Amino acid sequence: MTEVPAIETPMTKTPFSPEDMARRKKRALVMALILAGLVAMFFVTTIVRLGGAIAERSF
Amino acid sequence: MSDINLDIASTPAAAEGGQGTAGDYFALLKPRVMSLVVFTALVGIVAAPGGVHPWIAAVALLAIAVGAGAAGALNMWYDADIDAVMKRTASRPVPRGAILPGEALGFGLTLSVGSVLVLGLLVNWAAGALLAFTIFFYIAVYTMWLKRWTAQNIVIGGAAGAFPPMIGWVSVTGSVDPGAIALFLIIFVWTPPHFWALALWKKINADYTRAGVPMLPVVAGTDETRRQILIYTLILMPVTLLPSLLGVTGLFYTSAACGLGVMFIYHAVRVYRIREGDAAEIACKKLFGFSTLWLFLIFALILIERAAGLPAFAPVIG
Repeated sequence: MTEVPAIETPMTKTPFSPEDMARRKKRALVMALILAGLVAMFFVTTIVRLGGAIAERSF
Repeated sequence: MSDINLDIASTPAAAEGGQGTAGDYFALLKPRVMSLVVFTALVGIVAAPGGVHPWIAAVALLAIAVGAGAAGALNMWYDADIDAVMKRTASRPVPRGAILPGEALGFGLTLSVGSVLVLGLLVNWAAGALLAFTIFFYIAVYTMWLKRWTAQNIVIGGAAGAFPPMIGWVSVTGSVDPGAIALFLIIFVWTPPHFWALALWKKINADYTRAGVPMLPVVAGTDETRRQILIYTLILMPVTLLPSLLGVTGLFYTSAACGLGVMFIYHAVRVYRIREGDAAEIACKKLFGFSTLWLFLIFALILIERAAGLPAFAPVIG
């Protein structure tokens, strides 16, 4: 029986090569680090803007 | 945009998108321009009266830097057709096909909104509004309108590059004061001779001609450009002394700025007088190089004067 070559269709085509996936992973990692940095920045800025009196206020 | 985009669309990245590396996205931010923006904004923060917590100053600098980078990304999105035909810019991520125009647009818009929100929420809304206006001015007024329409593109568009020290100043004071306007004017008047010296280089001039960008040497000729360079340089010198007249700077800055001013005029005069051959090209390159150094030194002088605690003059005007 002769071997039929695989036909690449939009359904069978792998959307991302290993190189693409590696690039995506690196970009996602950078994005996660940026988001974590933003969270930290907002937190520290809030503390700085509240000033030293933050621990002295009455509840 | 022109049919050059068809070439961009036929590159492999166009098939799926998402091909850009983190380095490509970083290149979209125009890091060299960003470094100058950060430096001049820092000087604006340091020169402003009063004080600000170092953390808030750092946040302001970061937001201004990202805002400037966002403007760079949006510029590369819109100018992809021009960049593709100019040797100096053909290897940028969008014309190279590493990043799709749509990806650059999304990246630039996201960072624009993010940087303005961060500056507004964490520093003050006057600075945030000024950053938003700067991005709008650079993209809508300079990139989309003036750059392709008039030889005065760099004169009016130069305002976009002049805003960062003002934003830094407003980050501290919350208002646009005469001192901030003086710092703005220094960069605003410096921009035309700086960029026209670059535009006079033969290969850069050929690039602009090929791309159809109406830079002054292309439209009005090199002689007129040389005359304009000299005029703007002569105007720049008294403008450089405005911070001293406004009581922002003192003797150290003033004396050094006068010396640097004389050197700037010397280079501009050489460009004006030497018009033929390699000597003319060298004179233009020297003026371009010196003007870059001049701006750095002028702002560094303000920084040094403040850091050393040297006294400023009593304000004569303002």
